[in-house]
Amino acid sequence: MERLFQYVFDGLSLGAIYALLALGLVVVFRGTGHLNFAQGEMAMFCTFVVWQFHDWGVPLVLAVILGMLFGFLLGAGVEATVIRGVAKKSQAGVFVVSIALFLGLNSLAAMVWGNLPPEQMPSLFPDEPGDFQRIFGAVWRYEYIGVLVVALVLMGLLFLLFAKTKFGLAMRAVASNPESAKLTGIPTSLVLASSWGIAAAMGALSGSLWGGIVGELGAGLMFTVFIYASAAATLGGFDSPGGAVIAGLSIGVGEQLLAGYFPGWIGQEMKLSVALLTIFVVLLFKPSGLFGSTKVERV
Amino acid sequence: MAKIREGSIQHWILRLFGVALIAFVVVWVPTQMSSSRIGQFSDAFILMIAAMSLNLVLGFTGQISIGHSAFFGIGGYTAAILIKDHGWSPGYTFYAAAVVAFVVGCVVALPALRIRGIYLALVTLAVAVLFPTLVKWKKLAWLTEGAKGIDSVRYEEVPVWPILGELKGREGRAVFTFWLALIVVVVTYLVCRGIVKSRFGRALVAIRDNETAAAVMGVNLTTTKVLVFGVSAALCSLAGVLSTLKSGVVTPEGQYVTLLGSIVFLLVMVVGGAGTLWGPIVGGLVYVWLDSTTRDIGTDTDGILGAIFGWADQSPATLILGVALVLIMFLAPYGLVGLFKRIWRKIVTIVPKPAGTTPPPVDTASN
Repeated sequence: MERLFQYVFDGLSLGAIYALLALGLVVVFRGTGHLNFAQGEMAMFCTFVVWQFHDWGVPLVLAVILGMLFGFLLGAGVEATVIRGVAKKSQAGVFVVSIALFLGLNSLAAMVWGNLPPEQMPSLFPDEPGDFQRIFGAVWRYEYIGVLVVALVLMGLLFLLFAKTKFGLAMRAVASNPESAKLTGIPTSLVLASSWGIAAAMGALSGSLWGGIVGELGAGLMFTVFIYASAAATLGGFDSPGGAVIAGLSIGVGEQLLAGYFPGWIGQEMKLSVALLTIFVVLLFKPSGLFGSTKVERV
Repeated sequence: MAKIREGSIQHWILRLFGVALIAFVVVWVPTQMSSSRIGQFSDAFILMIAAMSLNLVLGFTGQISIGHSAFFGIGGYTAAILIKDHGWSPGYTFYAAAVVAFVVGCVVALPALRIRGIYLALVTLAVAVLFPTLVKWKKLAWLTEGAKGIDSVRYEEVPVWPILGELKGREGRAVFTFWLALIVVVVTYLVCRGIVKSRFGRALVAIRDNETAAAVMGVNLTTTKVLVFGVSAALCSLAGVLSTLKSGVVTPEGQYVTLLGSIVFLLVMVVGGAGTLWGPIVGGLVYVWLDSTTRDIGTDTDGILGAIFGWADQSPATLILGVALVLIMFLAPYGLVGLFKRIWRKIVTIVPKPAGTTPPPVDTASN
């Protein structure tokens, strides 16, 4: 029983990080209809920026906020310059450009921060070996609790932004019909740029949380997280933020359970594969994910 | 601007000139260059094959795939296992790999029956990530030799070919792989050309341009998509076989077996020209050239490039590739081949032969 709780707790915290990045993917997809392949690399780059600010002596909380701000500017800037220009020409072109961003950001991070000694990324929360609380016999580290709480709070804020503010309304309007939105006086380009910005800022937070858990930064920091996040976004349905959160958390819990209970067959190496296979099967029967809306095409 | 009629003497001279140029390069490289240079050309050929196969799916059918590295890996592993464990002759492994990859490609395309665009891209992403982890899996180590991969795949000394004479040692091996890769490039090109110019190829382009309209016109989306994925996977596996034959090793972290391989194939295809038959061929050459010239930038701090990139901890090769990719998407959406065609059209226009049996009046040619 303790083992079960332990796996569920760990899974929830890791799943929250996946869900944060997945939400970024969903925000971009709802806003502009693109798959941002560079979402993970943007997050990785912002995490390095956070580390850099912290290294310069900025308190970590402030550094993370500055990193998120940097992420917002990076995302919005990328959308306004390269993405929009290509999107006019072709949709597949946007995918290619996001792959170019993936390569470029990865290489740039390695160029700037590549040869530093193994960086110790400090955690936002107490992460000494003794910092844990026993709940139902399972160890729940303060760090993991903190990650879960911060992620859930940010998700809540995002839902408020979508559902209750004028900006959220404008975003939904642009997503459902860009031309009509423009005619009603919504500054479409500003909304599109900020949806990329918000996505990148969430990536920055998820990167900082993940970096705190891993402790060591590298250019490949967010790659696996990105795979999990895209799996979560696919499973939840690419246009459903709620779906992404639920799918992210359940993938996190599911992988911990599978890896924990079947160490011989699945274990740490194969848990990602099992997650991906599950999604493959789900897509066979439910092509638009669990919570996604099915598109009806008119001839 | 000159106008040349298709099939006229001038047109034939132009064609002959093109063929002669290619033939010159093809003969000059293996006879006059060092074996490492020849190896680079073989690398370019391998990339061309993979990019051509990706082009069928992405360039002509418009289905995003970043899973082709897995098909490449399937080819590489099939060849390695058959040659090393079962003593097959290398030549037959091409067929075996193609069959295996065809079946896997069709299975991967199954969700593609119902999903489109972004979801399909993610399924192929999953395939690309799955393949290396599956190969590394402890339970499959009896077949794939786990994380270290299969090495020292050896085959009998290369055959004596009539014109080339006996090929011996490392030099001979390099020349042999060069010719072998070239043959596969030509075969792949002919297969792609045959498909694109056929009824099936028109169906592919119709799906790319408007899926719904294609279905209404009577294109069977299911069969067409699954088949093109299978054929593309089979062709891509040939590149994998070649890579194994060339280096004698295949590992789960190998150059083109991981997701990065799919990205490179995509790059080659886009740089050369997506949706053009010659694009991947040009792209392969340009990529290998760019890769070998930019890799050393920043290692020495001399010159202008050293001054710009001297501070960096790592070579800026990948960054330059990324920037080049963005520039190409903006300036030449149809790649270098598209750009060349645009410029060429300003110099010479080839007026196509009028269709049908009755030749229309001459002045229709001067539009």
